[in-house]
Amino acid sequence: MSSVARKPLILGSKTYKDITDDICAPVEAPATKRWFGLLLGAKALFLFYIVHIAIIIGTGMGLLGVNHPVAWGTMIITFVFWIGIGHAGTLISAILYLFRQKWRTSVARSAEAMTVFAVMTAGIFPLIHTGRPWLDFWLLPYPNQRGPLWVNFRSPLLWDVFAVSTYATVSTVFWYVGLVPDLATIRDRAKTKLRRLIYGTLSLGWRGSSRDWAHYEIVYLLLAGLSTPLVLSVHTIVSFDFAVSMLPGWHTTIFPPYFVAGAVFSGFGMVITLLTLVRIGFPKFKDYITIDHMEVMNKIIMTTGLMVGYAYGSEFFIAWYSGNHYEVYAFTNRAFGPYWWSYWIMISCNVVIPQLFWFERFRRSIPVMFVVSIFVNIGMWFERFVITVTSLHRDFLPSNWGMYAWSWFDSAILFGSFGMFLTIFLLYLKFVPAISIAEVKPVLYVGKKRPGHEGGH
Amino acid sequence: MIQPGLHDDVVALAVGYGRKAAGKVGNIGVDAYPLSSFAKGKPVFAGRVVTLKKTSENYLLVSTQDHHVMEGRAIVLETTKSAFEKDPSSGIHKHQIFSIWPQHQYTKHKWALSVDLNSCTGCSACVVACQSENNVPVVGKKYVLEGREMHWIRIDRYFKGTPEAPEVAVMPLMCQHCENAPCETVCPVLATVHNDEGLNDMSYNRCVGTRYCANNCPYKVRRFNWFNYVKKREEPLHMSYNPDVTVRPRGVMEKCTFCVQRIRRGTNIAKDEKRAFKDGDVKTACQESCPADAIVFGDLNDANSKVARLFQEKRTYKLLEELNAVPRVGYMTRVRNAERAEVSGHGSEHGQPAHGPAKDEGKEDKKKHGNNVQQHEGELV
Amino acid sequence: MGQRKGGIAGLWYDDHECVVAATKVREAGFKKFDAITPFPVHGMEEAVGIKRSPIPYIAFGAGATGLLAGVGLQYWTSAVSFPLNVGGKPFFSGPAFIPVMFELTILFAALSSVGALFAMCRLPKIDPPVIDPDLTSHKFALFIPEDDVGYNADRCEQLLKSLGAKEIKRLSDY
Repeated sequence: MSSVARKPLILGSKTYKDITDDICAPVEAPATKRWFGLLLGAKALFLFYIVHIAIIIGTGMGLLGVNHPVAWGTMIITFVFWIGIGHAGTLISAILYLFRQKWRTSVARSAEAMTVFAVMTAGIFPLIHTGRPWLDFWLLPYPNQRGPLWVNFRSPLLWDVFAVSTYATVSTVFWYVGLVPDLATIRDRAKTKLRRLIYGTLSLGWRGSSRDWAHYEIVYLLLAGLSTPLVLSVHTIVSFDFAVSMLPGWHTTIFPPYFVAGAVFSGFGMVITLLTLVRIGFPKFKDYITIDHMEVMNKIIMTTGLMVGYAYGSEFFIAWYSGNHYEVYAFTNRAFGPYWWSYWIMISCNVVIPQLFWFERFRRSIPVMFVVSIFVNIGMWFERFVITVTSLHRDFLPSNWGMYAWSWFDSAILFGSFGMFLTIFLLYLKFVPAISIAEVKPVLYVGKKRPGHEGGH
Repeated sequence: MIQPGLHDDVVALAVGYGRKAAGKVGNIGVDAYPLSSFAKGKPVFAGRVVTLKKTSENYLLVSTQDHHVMEGRAIVLETTKSAFEKDPSSGIHKHQIFSIWPQHQYTKHKWALSVDLNSCTGCSACVVACQSENNVPVVGKKYVLEGREMHWIRIDRYFKGTPEAPEVAVMPLMCQHCENAPCETVCPVLATVHNDEGLNDMSYNRCVGTRYCANNCPYKVRRFNWFNYVKKREEPLHMSYNPDVTVRPRGVMEKCTFCVQRIRRGTNIAKDEKRAFKDGDVKTACQESCPADAIVFGDLNDANSKVARLFQEKRTYKLLEELNAVPRVGYMTRVRNAERAEVSGHGSEHGQPAHGPAKDEGKEDKKKHGNNVQQHEGELV
Repeated sequence: MGQRKGGIAGLWYDDHECVVAATKVREAGFKKFDAITPFPVHGMEEAVGIKRSPIPYIAFGAGATGLLAGVGLQYWTSAVSFPLNVGGKPFFSGPAFIPVMFELTILFAALSSVGALFAMCRLPKIDPPVIDPDLTSHKFALFIPEDDVGYNADRCEQLLKSLGAKEIKRLSDY
């Protein structure tokens, strides 16, 4: 055993039964007024969102700020924003699993749920940002009588179709497979017939046989091993939406690693935001999602924030070093042109503010980390704004230069998307165990003396 | 609008506005004819002394082009007469471009367009002709302010020199029908592909409107139907549509097609008459309307065609050649009579520092100031 | 695992003890017994004598199929069925086709492994009998089916008790 004492991953002296009781409590207890209030608010925002999408689809894309030359705007920016957030969940679930990081066990379920819901929220945007959304199915290569006319596999938007669908499917499946044993737990504790029926159906009749666990463990490892290159490839392909084009400011090979690092950065920001609120909403969970867990995630925010900051710096350096004056102009325009304010918001939120986490006091302070995580998300939305809008609004021929015409609908789409995400997330918190029961139990004795046995595990 | 080159004590007012019976598009502005006078039986449109009084009202002026400086980029290439006589290709900086895969061959017709910047006066007859020929919608002031104008061909106007002694450079710009079209590669549904005659085809009925093609076009010649402009057309104006060209619904991208309907008509007539297609059978609308014959359209595979000979001229260059889009539109440098200390174009995108970005421009400025203020201190490069 | 059968189950309250007991049960000669636990217990696979799952091979094969499917789909649609000159690129644009090939590989591998998991575990099971509802919470069981080698109900009960089982259940249908 190691000579360095590990910090306990679960606080307090608990038994396996305590773990089951603690985590199942929010699902089994009747809904609180607070939860209902939050759900109503989220649903109202969701409804607001749906109404505005319907108006846009019925009237035309001109209601948003997109124009000549800035033909992509809030919809694409918010799409990349939500997809990026999803990546942290897969990193926690899959990549940290491969690295055998035991601390991931209490946060993996909620992080992966965040991924699935963020990808669902993001997936709306490619469908509604088109000028004729009712024809979106033409992006799928299905046999037809028109040639047959297929699709353009060279287009990054088409790669997106495959990448995002694969990511949504595999993430959902991975999340669900992880859920099955916990749903069985709830089924076996169910006091009403309806609850038993629903959770029994969803848990597929799982009983916990070791032969089943053997297959299960292998499949979990496979899914983790497959999800890792998947998550790297998905955001790489999303970055290709920009990098494969010719625009100065878009056409750069740094985008794939830069986007992936940025996605992890923004995703962990959202995880911290959500988990600080979950800990407040379910105080018992503080023993499972401890300050140590939050601190480690803040360290990851710091690391990826520094990577993103390095990417900003190297973009500027390479633009200057290249001598290509379209490239030089693209970057000086970002920092000092009409959209200078968005650029400096991005820098201060993504590079400056996370430096607070150098100090342990701030890494372990809930109010500080909550505020920092909010700024991280704001900064990352602005990063996509800077990339999309500033590169498009001034490109090769100055006669084309223009400005994005931000409208009310842009704000409605951006804020409304949170309504969709929060509604689904709140429903998840009520109906599904928010901590992975079957993964947390094996790490119960980490950092503790196991009763009746020598040393910690 | 404050224009470089106009004396500070002079105001210019266009005649022809302020009509009373021309409908929604014509009944705008103010009638300037009352400010004219007669002398020796001829109308005089200049010389009247007026006083300007500042009022408290603001009036919105909009423009389709906001930035009028080339920023040191090689866009409108020019040379002087003496430099031209020494070397006809002066003013042009040739780029080395290469391809990493074999190019498609065009063995039938190879359509191309030549624009002589030396003949072009910037009169915009081509813009009007294209609009009528191709049923291009007129969107109005509000949408031009939001950047939604629909012109398939536009005249870019740049100022050069100093604010006190400026020169103007104009360039008609339409779809370049690039052989390596950046727009085609990124359309997910194959709504825009290259046909075997070298045209960049735009299939309106396949377009789902992702607008990636517009983003990837370095010339920004693609126009998107942000709303259902067609629905707003009132009868009997619908009779003015060209029946050979469809109208586009909202959500669909459109752009210059080299008047493909005229190309088809020309080649079909040649086929019906059982003869070979000859140069001049097809004239694009812009070519037909140009009073200076600056625009020439034809078949590059016909060695005797006018456009093939113009493409051989040393004055011909391609816009943004270094991007390797291989455009099918050739521009011919402008040759100026006046001598100048430096010749523009050569090395301009490498040597000269980029002009700093101007903050106080943009269409929304007009809302604040009430008129278009172009403020450039010092040299207009 | 298809037919329901009877047998004896012993319940433990500690996972470590259950693993030790499982080793001893296997050493006693039983081959078809199983452990039922609320979470995967370290060392239980070896103790029960479970062979390695074949699912990785299935996933690999499916992944290879996905790769070929990606190449085939793109090649056939872009170069054979309706070749179109898109941006001057060759009909089979190799580098551009890689992302879709990659994604289909992952998709096929992932879905096949989950499908294989369900097949191997015979899920979904419609309301199967449960030995004890706490087995998905905090108890651990060893179940010796009656058709196992050298099965004798009383001897098995003795064995399990001697290995520290806190509860014994006789089952006719599991």
